[in-house]
Amino acid sequence: MKLELGNFYVKDVKFGDTTAYVNGILTINKEEALAYVMEDEHITEADIVIARPGENKRIVPVKEAIEPRCRVNGNPVFPGVTGGIAPAGSGRTHALKNTSVLAVGKHWGSFGDGMIDMSGEGADLTHFSKLINICLVANTDEEFERHEQQKKNKALRWGAMRLSEYVGNAVKEMEPEEIEEFELGPIIKRDQKIKDLPAVVYVMQPQSQMEESGYNDLVYGWDANRMLPTFMNPNEILDGALISGSFMPCSSKWSTYDMQNCPTIKELYKAHGETINFLGVIMSNLNVAMKQKERAAVFVAQMAKSLGADGAILAEEGYGNPDADFIACFDALEDVGVKTVGITNECTGRDGQSQPLVVLSEKANAIVSCGNVSQLIKLPPMEEVIGELAALGRDGLSGGWEGDEKLGPSVREDGSVILENNSMFCGDQVLGWSQKTMREF
Amino acid sequence: MKKAILYINQFFAGIGGEEKADHAPEIREGLVGPSLALDAALKNAEVTHTVICGDNFMGSNQDEAVERILAFLEDKEFDIFFAGPSFQAGRYGNACGVICKAVKEKFGVPVISSMHVENPGVNMFKKEVVIFPGGRSAAAMRKDTKKMAAYGDKVLAGEKIGTAEEEGFYVRGIRHQVIDFTMEPAAVRGVKMLLKKLAGEEYVTELPIPKSDRVEIAAPVKDLATAKIAIVTTGGIVPVANPDRIQSASATRWGMYDVSEMARLEGGVYKTIHAGYDPAAADADPNICVPLDALRAYETEGKIGSLDTHFYTTVGTGTTEAEASRMAEEMVPFLKEHGVDGVIMTST
Repeated sequence: MKLELGNFYVKDVKFGDTTAYVNGILTINKEEALAYVMEDEHITEADIVIARPGENKRIVPVKEAIEPRCRVNGNPVFPGVTGGIAPAGSGRTHALKNTSVLAVGKHWGSFGDGMIDMSGEGADLTHFSKLINICLVANTDEEFERHEQQKKNKALRWGAMRLSEYVGNAVKEMEPEEIEEFELGPIIKRDQKIKDLPAVVYVMQPQSQMEESGYNDLVYGWDANRMLPTFMNPNEILDGALISGSFMPCSSKWSTYDMQNCPTIKELYKAHGETINFLGVIMSNLNVAMKQKERAAVFVAQMAKSLGADGAILAEEGYGNPDADFIACFDALEDVGVKTVGITNECTGRDGQSQPLVVLSEKANAIVSCGNVSQLIKLPPMEEVIGELAALGRDGLSGGWEGDEKLGPSVREDGSVILENNSMFCGDQVLGWSQKTMREF
Repeated sequence: MKKAILYINQFFAGIGGEEKADHAPEIREGLVGPSLALDAALKNAEVTHTVICGDNFMGSNQDEAVERILAFLEDKEFDIFFAGPSFQAGRYGNACGVICKAVKEKFGVPVISSMHVENPGVNMFKKEVVIFPGGRSAAAMRKDTKKMAAYGDKVLAGEKIGTAEEEGFYVRGIRHQVIDFTMEPAAVRGVKMLLKKLAGEEYVTELPIPKSDRVEIAAPVKDLATAKIAIVTTGGIVPVANPDRIQSASATRWGMYDVSEMARLEGGVYKTIHAGYDPAAADADPNICVPLDALRAYETEGKIGSLDTHFYTTVGTGTTEAEASRMAEEMVPFLKEHGVDGVIMTST
């Protein structure tokens, strides 16, 4: 399976008469773009706002991030989600690098939403401060969940995906500035010199812990809660087969952008043929009941072993309850002799003294740690807020609060904020960006 | 100039060795024994007083010792508190830990100590007290004191404190996130760690999992009909007066009580002092936690040979593993002396 990602390195994004990409400048016809977004009758009002790295801007509540792309053969970028089912992971997809389309609530936030600061100290706490963000700021008619803490945010998430395709189509007919090739030969037909290298699988545990549909990560549009672990080609992940959900505290969340650019997959590709034989991805999930967690772990370990894996990298999208899935899978892999490295964040509490994972195992002896979800963060006011700052304290975002006896409200009168890392948008970057770790003090 | 106070034991105060270990707590103005080295090493504070207490006095009358020492400190002005170094001396290490913890809780000042890695005080107190690794014996006095002083100076100057590794003290189980843009991203760290693990090379996990101290399951009792059985409980059943003053949570004390003349434990004579569960049922019938009645029946039926004269008890809630194993080690000689073949452990 061979995927060509044709990259266009965007230097700036502006509004203009025609949606087009010329000499590094992406121009968006706002009216046309919004008309396309508002074909979804559930979106009642919408605007597009640009936020660039270094600007004095704060974006909240952010629900999702997507890299603008198009599939050159005209198929949907997100098969089973923004169109019919078609295979992902081979052929040519074009991408507008350095940018992302954000789904931002005009008013309303929810548990899994996060915050992005485009400059200052807060910018260090999320990857998305480094990108030119095309913010779809919108309101919807989803009254059934207006006052729910958990929201599916369907109209906004789908709106942002559709906007990302609209924008991505600007480069459909153009010759990319760079082509990244991703090709993994069939496992049993590889060269002997590759077969002699240690064989490695990447085990992904995307968030799927809501029993009700509409909140979980989707694989080709299918709710990951309703699947057993399965084998996938890494190209499928890089090419839109997996999309993010709307449930997990935000720093633990993997946005669709993170999946499309998954740094761990890219790193494994880099090592493939040099130091490892990269077999592919075992797509697992995260579950509610103990039996489901154990069953998934059994499937993962069996698959890894049957594929001939010597090693695995295991990543979980979440903390707390999902730690049980993570450790069960870690144990199961080690038990069948697959040497495993886990990548996760920790929840050590505001004082740093809580047990880092809900479940521990001595077999989990190799872990890359990407941060503490409960770290307290104070940030000064920003000149401009995209979205609605009040949402951070009002709407039950996982890292914000209305009032606190000692700390006061999350959102101060002067626009400064105090929050837990939990609400920094996709801040812990377990898919591999993270330049955070945990240390003993 | 800021002010510091140091805690030392009777030996380092020059009062005497084991024969003087019952020495009652006292406070002296100025420098005694190790205070001289500490005062010389400290740049940002002077040592104004030295607290002295015998190791046995602290060991056997801990509450009283702590109470008296806290009373001495009540009217003293001080910004920082040191204890030791206690090297490999277990009782001294314990005393340093106990008093540092109490001073920190009462006065909210930084507390600093130094112990050799094998001193049991390290594991008992490293969470609450900044403890620096020290030498085995007093030969390391100057070196160990310098480490405590250097860190103390840094704290007093309000300098930013680094990680436990950077500062050199034992890890306390306080984990915070660090952003470091010179560090490789997680994906690169993960693949590198995996390559090392696959090659059987050394690597450093970023989340060390504490070793769980598992006890192997013992071989079965060969012949129950001739065996002597004892009951050990963490359910806090004690005579109503709680004669050994076992704490209701985070226990450090235990008791053994003679029940050789009893057929059952009567409510009103025995009760639970355990704060971790609803005591109503165990107070009404203590046998539901310490099943003396059932075991007497087994004894009569010949199912077990006999029951030990005593049962052994403490409280499990909030009690650290280190304290629990110390108490068990203290119980074992009695069980052996009584010729016990098997123990029934009951919890709550």
